[in-house]
Amino acid sequence: MDRRSFLTALGTLAGTAAWSPWTHAASAGDYKALVAVFLYGGNDANNTLVPLDATRYAQYAAARGPLALAQSSLLPLVDASGSAHYGLHPALGGAAGLQGLWDSARLAMVANVGPLVVPTTRAQVLANSVPLPVNLYSHIDQQHAWESAEAGGGATTGWGGRLLDQISALNSAAVVPPLVSLAGTNLYLTAQATRSLALPVTGNYGLNGFGSSTADVVRRATLSQLLGVDRGATLVGAADDALQGAIASTASIGPILSASTASVDAAFTGLSGSFAAQLGRVARLIEARASLGVRRQVFLVSLGSFDTHTDQLATQQALYSELGAGLGAFHAAMDGLGVGNAVTSFTFSDFSRTLKPNSTGGTDHAWGGHHLVAGGAVRGRSVYGTFPSLVLGGADDAGSEGRWVPTTAPDQYAATLGAWMGLSTASLAAAFPHLAQYATPTLGFV
Amino acid sequence: MRRPLVLVWMTVWVVSSIAASGTAAASAVSTADAVRFLNQATFGATSADLAHASALGFSAWIDEQQRMPPTVYSGFAYVAPKAPANCTADPTAPTSAASVCHRDNYTLFKVRRQMLQHAVTAKDQLRQRVAYALSQFFVVSGVVIPTAYGMADFQNVLLQDAFGSYRQLIEDVTLSPVMGRYLDMVNNDKANAAKGTSPNENYARELLQLFSIGLVKLNPDGTVVTDSSGQPVPTYDQEVIEEYATLFTGWTYPPLPGATSKFPNPQNYDGRMVAFDSHHDTSAKTLLNGAVIPGGQSAAADLKAGLDLIANHPNAGPFLSRQLIQQLVTSNPSAAYVQRVAAVFANDGKGTRGNLAAVVRAVLLDPEARGDTPSSALEGHLKDPALYMVSLARALSASTDGVGLASATQSMGEPIFTAPTVFNFYPPTYALPGTSVNAPEFFLYDDASAIARANAVDRLLRGGWAADASVAGATGTQVSLGGITGTTPAAVVDAAGMLLLHGPVPTATRSLVANAVAAVPATDPTGRARTAVQLLALSGAFQVVR
Repeated sequence: MDRRSFLTALGTLAGTAAWSPWTHAASAGDYKALVAVFLYGGNDANNTLVPLDATRYAQYAAARGPLALAQSSLLPLVDASGSAHYGLHPALGGAAGLQGLWDSARLAMVANVGPLVVPTTRAQVLANSVPLPVNLYSHIDQQHAWESAEAGGGATTGWGGRLLDQISALNSAAVVPPLVSLAGTNLYLTAQATRSLALPVTGNYGLNGFGSSTADVVRRATLSQLLGVDRGATLVGAADDALQGAIASTASIGPILSASTASVDAAFTGLSGSFAAQLGRVARLIEARASLGVRRQVFLVSLGSFDTHTDQLATQQALYSELGAGLGAFHAAMDGLGVGNAVTSFTFSDFSRTLKPNSTGGTDHAWGGHHLVAGGAVRGRSVYGTFPSLVLGGADDAGSEGRWVPTTAPDQYAATLGAWMGLSTASLAAAFPHLAQYATPTLGFV
Repeated sequence: MRRPLVLVWMTVWVVSSIAASGTAAASAVSTADAVRFLNQATFGATSADLAHASALGFSAWIDEQQRMPPTVYSGFAYVAPKAPANCTADPTAPTSAASVCHRDNYTLFKVRRQMLQHAVTAKDQLRQRVAYALSQFFVVSGVVIPTAYGMADFQNVLLQDAFGSYRQLIEDVTLSPVMGRYLDMVNNDKANAAKGTSPNENYARELLQLFSIGLVKLNPDGTVVTDSSGQPVPTYDQEVIEEYATLFTGWTYPPLPGATSKFPNPQNYDGRMVAFDSHHDTSAKTLLNGAVIPGGQSAAADLKAGLDLIANHPNAGPFLSRQLIQQLVTSNPSAAYVQRVAAVFANDGKGTRGNLAAVVRAVLLDPEARGDTPSSALEGHLKDPALYMVSLARALSASTDGVGLASATQSMGEPIFTAPTVFNFYPPTYALPGTSVNAPEFFLYDDASAIARANAVDRLLRGGWAADASVAGATGTQVSLGGITGTTPAAVVDAAGMLLLHGPVPTATRSLVANAVAAVPATDPTGRARTAVQLLALSGAFQVVR
């Protein structure tokens, strides 16, 4: 079932032909959520978004060699003027995938984004005349640079966390932390003001073996007391706090994760795997937002294995199928819940990869890459930022293998999303201390 | 006046050490320190080990452990890379012969279960513990290598080399076809202008960044070298990575028995990778710190020179030493502690560099690791899921085939030998949020994992895991709570505390747990024992090794 027929089916279920998710969206109330999609390992964005015009496609094909996607296989992204300047990897598409979101103007692409300490050109890289991101091309360091919007290293908070710190008053009624990971611990959600939650992707979330007998009730109460008494050693206290915090969240979160709701489940029908499961749980938590008292949330989900040093074509094909179908289903679920305009998803990744292939059917670590932003509030059907010149050793190459010097920083990308979440200019400046050095601090894609 | 006394004391100490080492050394070992020592050197102190280590003394105990033959992974043999039709998983028939064949050969099920079984029961505890630590440093993962015999081969390399030479270890790891597959050194070909391809950079980068010297120059005490503006000094740049990528060209899988070797050979994880110089980049290479190796060398000669440079790099000692200390003793070692261990790495006292037996000994016998009580509030480390479950099983004298414990660690986000990436399950640099306190294992101890940990304890204490009939030699996992008794609730707590903490339970904890025990009817002694063990096991005092 594609998205449109799914929505039609929902309308039928609701018993009124006039029912529409778009008008229903007004009932979302004052709620907004960001869903960060981390493509772990470094997504080769050169094969996510490919120029379709003859000159640039020829440049792409010449440098890509065996990894080039056939021009005819690319899904044309027709923009508002009716022309298609770029094509999408075919596995991302379909009416229920990213092409459907693009065609309904709910998907934007942002070209050549990557960590920067200061605005940087190829000439400056070659002359070694400006500071570059610390440990450029290292997975963990560049993940941290994206998660924190701090390319200089040493970050202790992430921008997802800082963003909610700035608008914490909106979440004053929250009964659980509004920062929620389905992808484990992550710097991205580390805030000053609130802890984040990292929830299981599958299975129940609650303590087993505590019944209603007197002994069980006392044992349960004792556990909480016990986790508060031993404060002498730093890590002992931290371990106690971690378990205490987890237990405290189970009462409100556990039933939500275990529930099966028709509205969410229908959207994810036919999808399997961890990525869809993560998004399904995010959808349920958004559905239950009123019971959690949250008004602004940031979620993190992840899809791994993008570190395609080998066998890239097949690996990316499989990963993009999951990515496109998962995001398509998720946004359909949001529409069904009436919050299509209140939820925006976006990608980030360690880095992009060399345009030039290596000897084992793959590519190596590079720098700037293209990212996607989806949701009803997105000003879609458009490619934002500046697309790089796909020439090895050309105007945008940090060297000779096709490692693009970014023309947009994560700071700008993040601040655009932050502005949509309701941060004032002053709050954005506080959350993103390096923002002022960019001529266009926000990009207007949402 | 004082000098003769010192001499007398020295004489007595020397004579008694030589004469009857067992009893003489015993007087030097306190129970509290022995508990700490065994929690650092084994998968968890047991009453029996405590008596033995106390009798031998720490140094002799280490000698004995390092001499023991390794308990290795056994019962694994080559299988074809692609599972044949009669060896494929059928979700609707999980115990069919084909499904069991697939589980045992094409997943890490058997490897994990052996790892945990050995961790609970093997005599060579120190080697098992160090090899496990090394497996979280030289990471290969079931994400890419789900093949049981390959993973068993690789882990056996770590067991065999755990107390050998560092230079040998990095060569064995480098030439393992399992590592070759995981980080793409296998079949890495020299540049090909016609095809427009370059050598694969993956192994070059991760060997330098994660397995040997790290990204930034280190002082001998492991602290970061900074330049005049306070910035860390990189150990290498992208050009060095590209040069090492060319150095690691020309290697393929070992040929299958009886087959003619060619480039590339088909996948085979038994043995070492083999070189084809016709696929090796023979240009001169500029490597670490500007060292140049000449052109025209064979793949093997280049590899030797490249690994020699790494093993002799000043970072190698402090980089490995700090992470070994973090795995075994404490997440936040002082710089002086790292420096003392790194000095032993540089020279074991007999002029040998990279003697890992001596390095492990130095980690464990360092003054910062020893003593009745930790030297600072920061000391210690959180048990990772495997260490946590195994230490609890050992404390309770569990019988186990490893199956249930493996599923327990998996539920906590740590499917053994299957880290999500080469960066392991948790990074050594992870700090508690908003602090500079290193706490690597906490990266994995998130809300989901903490709840899973509590539920795994509940399961272990409520019957454990029954034997899985589809597993050859299965016993399941059971603990006995029968010995944890007492005439009063507090006495039950003390009995549980003796097994889990090997010493007095802190006062506030004792009275709280006793209160919960008292709520269980005295007619249910198992319930009382379970209550005491569960609460102590979930408390930070048992979760954190200090």
